[in-house]
Amino acid sequence: MMNSILLETVSQTVNPSWDLLFTGAFVVLLVGVALYASAIPQGARRWWGLAALLGLLVIGGQVVGAGTARMLLLDAAAFVAVAMVWTEDNPQAKAAARSYLALLVVSVICLGVGLTLAENASAAPAFPIDKLIVALVVIGFGLKLALVPFYFWLPGLAEYARPMTTALIVSVVDIAAFGELAHLRAAAPWVFTDYAALWLTLALLSMFGGALLALAQRNLKRMLAYSTIDDMGYLLLGVLVGSTVGMSGALLAALSHAFFKVLLFGAVGVAEYQSGQPLTLDSRGMASRYPVSAAVFIAGALGMIGVPPLFGFIGRWRLYLAGVEYGGASLALTMAAATGLALLYYVRAIHRVWLGHGNETLPAAAPDSAAPNTAAQPAEPRMAVVVMIALLVLMLAVGLFPGGLTGWLG
Amino acid sequence: LPTGFLVAGILLQLALGKILTPKQKGWLAFIASLAALAGVLTQLPGILHGAAVQSAVFLWDQNVPLQYRLDGLSLVFALMATGIGSAILFYCIDYMAHEPSGVTRFYMFILTFIAGLVNLVYSANLLLVYLSWEVIGLCSYFLVGFWYKETAAANGARKVLIMTHLPGYGLLAAILLLYHQTGTFLWTDPSIHAAFTTGIFLLMLVAAMAKSVIFPLHTWIPEAMNAPTPVSALLHSACYVKAGVYLIARMYSLGVWPHSWNVVVLALGCATMLVGALFALTQTDLKRLLAFSTISQLGYIITGLGLGTNLGLAAGLFYCLSHGLFKGTLFLCAGAVQHSTGTRDMRRLGGLAARMPNTARIWLVAACAIVGVPLTNGFVAKWLLLDAALEANQAVVVVIAWLVSVFTAFYMLKATVSTFYGETPAWLQDRPVHDADSSMLAGMGVLGALCVLFGLAPQLLMQPVVAPAVESLGFQWQVSLSWLGVQTSSAGIHVTLGAGIVILAALIGALVFAATRSQAKGSAVPAAVMPAMGTPAAAAGSMAAMTLTPAGAAHPSAARSVGVFGGGDPLPAQAGVTVEDFAALAETSFTPIYRVTDPDRVYMPLWQGIYRLAGQVNRLLSPVCDRYPLLATLILALVVCVAVWLW
Repeated sequence: MMNSILLETVSQTVNPSWDLLFTGAFVVLLVGVALYASAIPQGARRWWGLAALLGLLVIGGQVVGAGTARMLLLDAAAFVAVAMVWTEDNPQAKAAARSYLALLVVSVICLGVGLTLAENASAAPAFPIDKLIVALVVIGFGLKLALVPFYFWLPGLAEYARPMTTALIVSVVDIAAFGELAHLRAAAPWVFTDYAALWLTLALLSMFGGALLALAQRNLKRMLAYSTIDDMGYLLLGVLVGSTVGMSGALLAALSHAFFKVLLFGAVGVAEYQSGQPLTLDSRGMASRYPVSAAVFIAGALGMIGVPPLFGFIGRWRLYLAGVEYGGASLALTMAAATGLALLYYVRAIHRVWLGHGNETLPAAAPDSAAPNTAAQPAEPRMAVVVMIALLVLMLAVGLFPGGLTGWLG
Repeated sequence: LPTGFLVAGILLQLALGKILTPKQKGWLAFIASLAALAGVLTQLPGILHGAAVQSAVFLWDQNVPLQYRLDGLSLVFALMATGIGSAILFYCIDYMAHEPSGVTRFYMFILTFIAGLVNLVYSANLLLVYLSWEVIGLCSYFLVGFWYKETAAANGARKVLIMTHLPGYGLLAAILLLYHQTGTFLWTDPSIHAAFTTGIFLLMLVAAMAKSVIFPLHTWIPEAMNAPTPVSALLHSACYVKAGVYLIARMYSLGVWPHSWNVVVLALGCATMLVGALFALTQTDLKRLLAFSTISQLGYIITGLGLGTNLGLAAGLFYCLSHGLFKGTLFLCAGAVQHSTGTRDMRRLGGLAARMPNTARIWLVAACAIVGVPLTNGFVAKWLLLDAALEANQAVVVVIAWLVSVFTAFYMLKATVSTFYGETPAWLQDRPVHDADSSMLAGMGVLGALCVLFGLAPQLLMQPVVAPAVESLGFQWQVSLSWLGVQTSSAGIHVTLGAGIVILAALIGALVFAATRSQAKGSAVPAAVMPAMGTPAAAAGSMAAMTLTPAGAAHPSAARSVGVFGGGDPLPAQAGVTVEDFAALAETSFTPIYRVTDPDRVYMPLWQGIYRLAGQVNRLLSPVCDRYPLLATLILALVVCVAVWLW
């Protein structure tokens, strides 16, 4: 029965082109992550095995089409992601993995029960089943997508896991899960329309809460985690509005989120690997040592907040339009205010960490980083640079000429 | 066509970046810009008499066509971007020749900057207007932060980005609201007129204010002065600040303005011209002084547009073009000074007219223009503006504009004398200071010459360029301007009379100067000043400087000072007024005004408040997040369940 709901979803709003696009995007990202990891080690053989398994599960989920099988495969991919974090060699990562696992289990249970109830009910189930379904769906997706107030697993994980592990989680696992939320929007619209204020509150809380918390962070990877939470608020708003422009905005923004997050974590990863220390607001002048990473970080940040001509704008303007449709100028300006906060924390990171004068001395590279001597201003690993530049050029090209893509999506 | 040339230039820079020398890259960029200028000029015949050229290129995004519409207004700004941009790029050939790194990046962003403005003013699609708007915003961010390893440059770039990007959301919101109501992004669509409400007007105005440094969103521009000087010139004269002017002017195409909108724009224009000039008085950094003068001059331009009459729009647009020319020249001259001496601190400069005579001459021409000395385009622009204000019965505007003109004369005189006249400071005497290189001189010389040309024969600019622009906004062209800016229509007779008085005053001043000079017996005027008197305009502009009597060399304190003509008996040499004295005098006199009109005093607590709030939220939630994630999640899940239940 679950299968039929999601198939119906496909036929109603999210046409096969979207699934194909997401599949293609995930393949590109997985290849990019793999090439990056070949230049900057993310873990031993076990990491590679788990990453490959995660990739296969997500791609498999996309290929089998919407339905129970996809849900199960994506859930399995999330558990593999937990394993990737767990197998890292530091206790904080293991603690983060434990949190992630616990909350993932809660999420899977909530979504499983909620969607099953929805499937067995009529189009708009009667009280109190409808309330139970909505509560379970909100909690389940809230946990999976790290919406405020269910985001607790993400910041610690982002801070202590390897950059590409986090990138895989936020750019592939999370975005695939978001695709499922989009399917649900069409299959059971009452879940959103009858409780619109609740979803809107969640979206706004995520936007502003994520942005404010990001502004308070000193660790860059932790800040990026909060920026994901912030961004999820916009995506949720697009899904809530549910119109063509809202849905296409949310899906395009989800795609750009996936790419830009890989770029941002990739840039931070290069600097951390080469310098042998975590990147915080106390780091200075990294652009002098790692110019390409700095450029990629800046572009990634601008892409995340939807500054044209990068791809981020293509989804973002649709989301603003959805905001205008749904709440008029006041909602659009509220969204812009949240974006203003995002600009503040990104610009703060750019100018405190990357630009300006550098620290005179840096400590030696971490023993496990296998990085060359940092004092001699080491070059950035060539393959990592190639991957980041290629992805950035792709984001710029699609941002400058989106017509081909959006025309094909229809 | 122009955008195509510029994009080709960008791609060639990218492709040949590793092969070409900095000079060759400069030539390449210049040629691309020149070709773009030629492309713009070829379209001139098509837009005469208020006509427009339209073309749909392709579907840029789903249901969003890339559609161009070239009319008179577009042409004014496209000409400015490509014309002044070309002169600046020619200047860059020598200026950037010795830059050790980043030259390809520099030229790519400059060309993108110009292409962005051209695309902005050509686009009939508002969404693409916004895209271009942000592209030039990004270019300015990257160019101001060109020397990103220097903290000051990076900080300046940050302020540019924050203060111009955030208000830009006003433009985006306005566009989306228009789309929501009309179903089209094309501003040429007639349905836009009915949907263009006060709210949308104000949203667009806020965006324009930030770009065009209108009070109180102007404070980013003085901080952007740590960029390479050609960037400052482009930012101030041709591309960046003019984007907001374009948007305000274009809003006349979107709908009929009620009177209250004009009042708002006029008030902002007057406040801006006054605040900019008052802050310019206190500056001791040459480029910062010019930055504040840009704010003030933009106030004039916006005031002209705000008048909302035929003559007001003509004045605003002519002023806009004129400002591009003289401000571009002034910045390039300031750049030459900094390039040669290594500083732009006027307290450490002086006597440069002897060692940089050509730069001094060109500076004088542009300084005369910005002050509004007859025979320059600045005079014609101010004249037209005052005439338009009188015609519109805006006496307050006239008084403010006149007062600001006086302030302008003060601070430009200060800048001119402190930099080029007086005695050369000791530290500078042994330095190998030389005049600007040939391409630099040519770049700024062309702009300076145009200031004089359009001062002598403004009709060359008015008829083919300004008239179609005014007509494209739905106004009738009723301006009859002849040689020297003399108005041949009856409406301008009183202003013509005023101009006659100004010229008479100038002549009297020249006589006083001649008398003072003969008394001074050779010590009164630095020898270097004389070569700078090459043109009549320069002579008129420097007249005030010439009446000053330099302090005697016997007094050590006079090294950075210049004596004053006291209106009678010579003052003691110790009475020389230095830049610091001048700045201190202005600060003392206008302290309460500075306190009230500095919006950074509001922005800073706002930022601190946001940051404090973020810290408090983080302190509240971080322990929960780190220590009790599962428990917190279960409690919050319960809260959600209760909320849903109570729904």
